[in-house]
Amino acid sequence: MVNPLTYVFRSKVTEKFKFSDTELEALGSELKAEVNQVFGHSLAIRELDSGSDNSTEIEISNLGNPHYDVERFGISFVASPRHADVLLVTGAVTLNMAEAVLKTYEAMPSPKFVIAAGDDACDGGIYKGSYAVLGGVDKILPVDMKIPGNPPSPKEILRGIFALVKKASG
Amino acid sequence: MNSNKNTANSLIPAGPKLKENCQIPVNPAVLATRYATDLIIDVSGKEPQIRRGKNNEFYIPLGEKEFLKTVPVLSEKGFVLISLFCVQNFEDSPGFTLFYVFRLNGFSGIFAFMRNARKETTSIATVFPSACWYEREIRDGFGIEFTDAFDKRRLFLHEAYPEGFHPLLKSFKNGKIQAVQNPKETYHFKQMEGEGVYQIPVGPVHAGIIEPGHFRFSVIGEPILNLEIRLFYKHRGIEKLAEGKKPSACVPIAEAISGDETVANAVAFCTAVEKIAGIEVPPRASYLRAILLELERIYSHMGDLSGMITDIGFPRMTTPFIILRENLFRQNELLTGSRFMRGAIDLGGVKKEISGEALSKLAFYLKTFVSQFESAITAVHASSSLIDRFSTTGVLKKKLITPLNLTGPIARAAGASYDVRLDHPYGIYKDEPPKRMTKTAGDVLSRFEVKAAEVLNSASLIQKLIISVPDGPTVAEVTGFAISNIPDGYALSMVEAARGQNLHWVYVRGGVIDRYKVRTASFCNWQAIEHAVLGNIVPDFPLINKSLNLSYAGTDL
Repeated sequence: MVNPLTYVFRSKVTEKFKFSDTELEALGSELKAEVNQVFGHSLAIRELDSGSDNSTEIEISNLGNPHYDVERFGISFVASPRHADVLLVTGAVTLNMAEAVLKTYEAMPSPKFVIAAGDDACDGGIYKGSYAVLGGVDKILPVDMKIPGNPPSPKEILRGIFALVKKASG
Repeated sequence: MNSNKNTANSLIPAGPKLKENCQIPVNPAVLATRYATDLIIDVSGKEPQIRRGKNNEFYIPLGEKEFLKTVPVLSEKGFVLISLFCVQNFEDSPGFTLFYVFRLNGFSGIFAFMRNARKETTSIATVFPSACWYEREIRDGFGIEFTDAFDKRRLFLHEAYPEGFHPLLKSFKNGKIQAVQNPKETYHFKQMEGEGVYQIPVGPVHAGIIEPGHFRFSVIGEPILNLEIRLFYKHRGIEKLAEGKKPSACVPIAEAISGDETVANAVAFCTAVEKIAGIEVPPRASYLRAILLELERIYSHMGDLSGMITDIGFPRMTTPFIILRENLFRQNELLTGSRFMRGAIDLGGVKKEISGEALSKLAFYLKTFVSQFESAITAVHASSSLIDRFSTTGVLKKKLITPLNLTGPIARAAGASYDVRLDHPYGIYKDEPPKRMTKTAGDVLSRFEVKAAEVLNSASLIQKLIISVPDGPTVAEVTGFAISNIPDGYALSMVEAARGQNLHWVYVRGGVIDRYKVRTASFCNWQAIEHAVLGNIVPDFPLINKSLNLSYAGTDL
């Protein structure tokens, strides 16, 4: 039988965290509580690039940095749409990617949610009016949450995810 | 390189021969014109009408016969095909003009051979293999058939685009088109056959948080027998998007070419327009631009360095690089208000002044950065398992560099020394040349080391620039026209982005952009991956891919 007190008093083996950000920590703990409640302790996100300029992907992968380390809040980025609760789409939807976007969405089990991250994913952004794009993600998928920005910062993306989780719980 | 064996040899001043990348002590413009004239006279017996461009580029119109005779000679002389693009109704010539753009070691100028074309023309891809993608691109964009081309597949227009649709034709007004529903046409990959050969199709949607593209591996057991890539899933129509817009409205379009090359592409675009209009960027703005360019190089390389270590599954070693990179993003934001330095560059200079105080803070941060970076690198060098995975993996052979126009750190890790900042200096690099960084092995380890060294070089260059940045205006003062009203003309400009040589050609007519051609380093460098992976095992592919750090967005446009 493990004494639960050992979890509290044992010293950490990781290095001391030098860049604490109170705003992020507050957002994170709220998010964690919501994820625990609404998604049963883990929110699985599949990122999909439908035609971005790659900056939003960079910011999404930055969420895994020690500065943010969002796995602490119950969020994980998964490799397969089959494992995902949320499809996090970046970029305007190009004609060349439209089919792959649909197939990825169809591969997800229900209930499923879609977030559009970045100005171009929200409404086509700078590519609006180009022959090569259909427009924002909502032209092809039901979008539950939009996160504007060129690109949105990691914290803004996290806030957007939080907003979605709250919305999903009704 | 055998450029010293030609007729223009006599023009080169006594002393050293035209060695790779040497500086030419006489007026280089005169030399380049004479060199090209002599070469064409030698080949065809006719004297060409060479026009000097606005940014040290030379336009050489050739008749069809002369052109066909000249191409093999250019190859013999060591000319490197750095771009090939088409312009419809160029100046007063109706129809299509093809620009075959070359560089030659020893010349800082660029040679653009112009050839008129109708709906059908001939391919040069058997002489210059890198012409293949360009010709397919022109075929898609303008509908010009290269009748004897060995590869006539579509390039950036995938199956969703109707046959006969060519977006860059002037007759097409940008707007929605009817996509083909359930296309019957399929893309033909090269078939590898033999006992035990099987295919692994990967993409366009990959497993990580990365951009889309398709890789078709042919494999025997674990080693890769062949790799064919298919890109352009992210084709967003950048070039057409710029057409008809005022140059001042197109800086954000240049920034959207590739997110992590925001500054490089904005500077390249602005430089081309500034050259067209004869705008002199004030010294302070030149310094600030160079600081931002080098900052972008550092954070981009940091992503590669950490990515390479991530791809061999060594998080403890990756983390210091990731932490430093995030700190750099925050420095970018403090300096320009944007983590990607969006909106920092503008026509004539920089958009917002960066205060001396902000610069001192950056210089102060870089001191900490350099010492932390050095200790992270020391740890890497002490890890024998890491060196074992990096060394001899994904070798890029030097002989591919010229035929494919491979540039940037990946070429410098394979024995090339070419660097746009040194070989076609622009802005402040004329006065503050960076160190040339070269390795020869061409493997993942060399790429890691070249990038690591470039991070330190760029950091010390920034520190040097911060000390000497002059006071003064940050935007050029122009007389005679408003900066939002650029006079007509065209110019070519190149920058050394983190990934290598980015080339922009801008043609302004009637105050608006008539044609904007962009070719990023990734467009050329992608073609190297098909060679670098051969004989390597499939599990090393992500590592090799990361070490080459290719932009999908910058290629697909």
